[in-house]
Amino acid sequence: MSPTPVLERELDRLEALWDEGLADCYHSYLETMDSAGDPELRPRLALAAALVEVGIRLQGLGGAAAPAPALLMGDLCLARSSRILTDSATRAVQVAFARAVEEMSSAAASGREASPVRDLLARALAAR
Amino acid sequence: MIATRLAFSTAHPTEFIDLTERLRDEVRRSGLTTGRIHLQSLHTTLGLAVNENEPLLLRDFMSMLERLAPGDATYEHDDFSRRIDIALDEPINGHAHCRQLLLTGFATLLVEDGDLVLGRWQSVFAVELDGPRERQVAVQLEGEFAHAPTLALPRNAGEGTALVELELARQLMADPDPVAVPMRRLLEAGGKRLRPRLVQLTAQLGPEYQPLRTAELAAAVEILHNATLVHDDYVDESTHRRGRPTVAAAEGAERAIAVGDYYFAKATRLIAEQGNNNVTQTIAAALEAICEAQIDDVGLRGAYPGDRESYVRVVRGKTAALFAAACASGAQLSGASAEIVEALYRYGDLLGTAFQMADDMVDFSPMSGKPVGLDIKQRVLSLPLIYAAEDRSVGPEVRRLLAGALGDHEVAQVASLVASSEALSRVGDEARALVEQAVEELEKVELNGLRPTLISLARSAVDRAS
Repeated sequence: MSPTPVLERELDRLEALWDEGLADCYHSYLETMDSAGDPELRPRLALAAALVEVGIRLQGLGGAAAPAPALLMGDLCLARSSRILTDSATRAVQVAFARAVEEMSSAAASGREASPVRDLLARALAAR
Repeated sequence: MIATRLAFSTAHPTEFIDLTERLRDEVRRSGLTTGRIHLQSLHTTLGLAVNENEPLLLRDFMSMLERLAPGDATYEHDDFSRRIDIALDEPINGHAHCRQLLLTGFATLLVEDGDLVLGRWQSVFAVELDGPRERQVAVQLEGEFAHAPTLALPRNAGEGTALVELELARQLMADPDPVAVPMRRLLEAGGKRLRPRLVQLTAQLGPEYQPLRTAELAAAVEILHNATLVHDDYVDESTHRRGRPTVAAAEGAERAIAVGDYYFAKATRLIAEQGNNNVTQTIAAALEAICEAQIDDVGLRGAYPGDRESYVRVVRGKTAALFAAACASGAQLSGASAEIVEALYRYGDLLGTAFQMADDMVDFSPMSGKPVGLDIKQRVLSLPLIYAAEDRSVGPEVRRLLAGALGDHEVAQVASLVASSEALSRVGDEARALVEQAVEELEKVELNGLRPTLISLARSAVDRAS
């Protein structure tokens, strides 16, 4: 399924990722989100979560380091997600997303297993 | 109010960790003279206690905890067949939770005359009940603060610099060692701290200027910058930065990726927690521009050395975007007018581009303290090299050498050709012209007497040898 025009604008330079797992991630987060939230913001927030998940996977965070081009795409995913959140999310959600990435990267640096990324981000999306 | 975290490792299943001296250090560093220090355990199996640090007494406490909640008793919490959503590494620790209930998770201590108010025999303990583990205690200090930072600072550090250094140290103290140690090494190795300096200067232009809040933003911007450097060094396969091994070289690519991500996230969180959405958006946009430019930069290495247009596009993203954001966000934080914010953004953009051009020239200076031609060896985009490759006399030879493998001999030859051409003076002229354009931006707005400082900072950023 193609991204909606709203999402398409946020996928500049990341278009190829949509069919390589980003779309599945996005739909998965969209389904977990509270239907009480602003319906116009939900897709953007779900995309922000999906970008984090795909971004850290591209980087190889917690596993074998990705080659430079994949790392840079991963970095862009995280940065794009962060910018989408500043445009669309409450401060609580922005902070919760950052804390989720801090937890995952801290676990990776320490050689510990972090909580599943999807659980962490689903909780971040629900932050109040 | 100052907030921080005390991080520590425990070594035993049950252990009393005396935090008293660390808390005294926190009070001294913060400059708190009269007030309170609040502690909160961030774990359900870590308690807090104020009592006597006498080894036999501590053994008595452990025995008492063992009697009241024996480790070998049956706890429903440990019956995983009846629990839902348990983690794979869920420990058997019902006894530890029950013991924590007998202690407290919170404590408030008084501070007077810049020191903890404690009786002769009183010590403050974190009580590990399910170790060994990595632990954190949240700490908040509130009350009357004297201006008394106690970090080792450069001799000529001004008040603002001191605050930023203090804030950087404070933030890293709260972080787990696997990420904090490499980042501390990078920050302590130096760096010009231009971006935080810009935040601090421009924050003085609005009606809501607050030095401590400004130092928090300035430190977050510096952390963000350093986080991008950690990833850059992996991408560029750099072995040294600021005279020390890079994180990737010293601790491996996996650690470097994690450290970069951690501090990228932490910096964005610190900025978000300040609650100024204009600032958050400015920094987020800069970060996105940096990442896009990095991708372009690596993409252009196939057509090395590239052309001026591509160079400027990459540099405006990679370097100037954060300079511009630093200038604008400081002003935004203090509530400066949109006119001032926009003028400062343009000033930062021009200054950042000029700064990078000057940085490229340093690569050809034997006075810089760095090996000459490092950028060439790593095929990093460089304007002097672009101009030398376009030069009528040396250009063909430069292009021929760059097309082949670049050993030390070839790099030295290219560097010598660049130095013998007009490329360096051309880049220097261009950088100085950009600085003058940046200065012109400052003429358009009222800057409360800060104009000379901003002008001097811009000129010195370009006229440098290292």
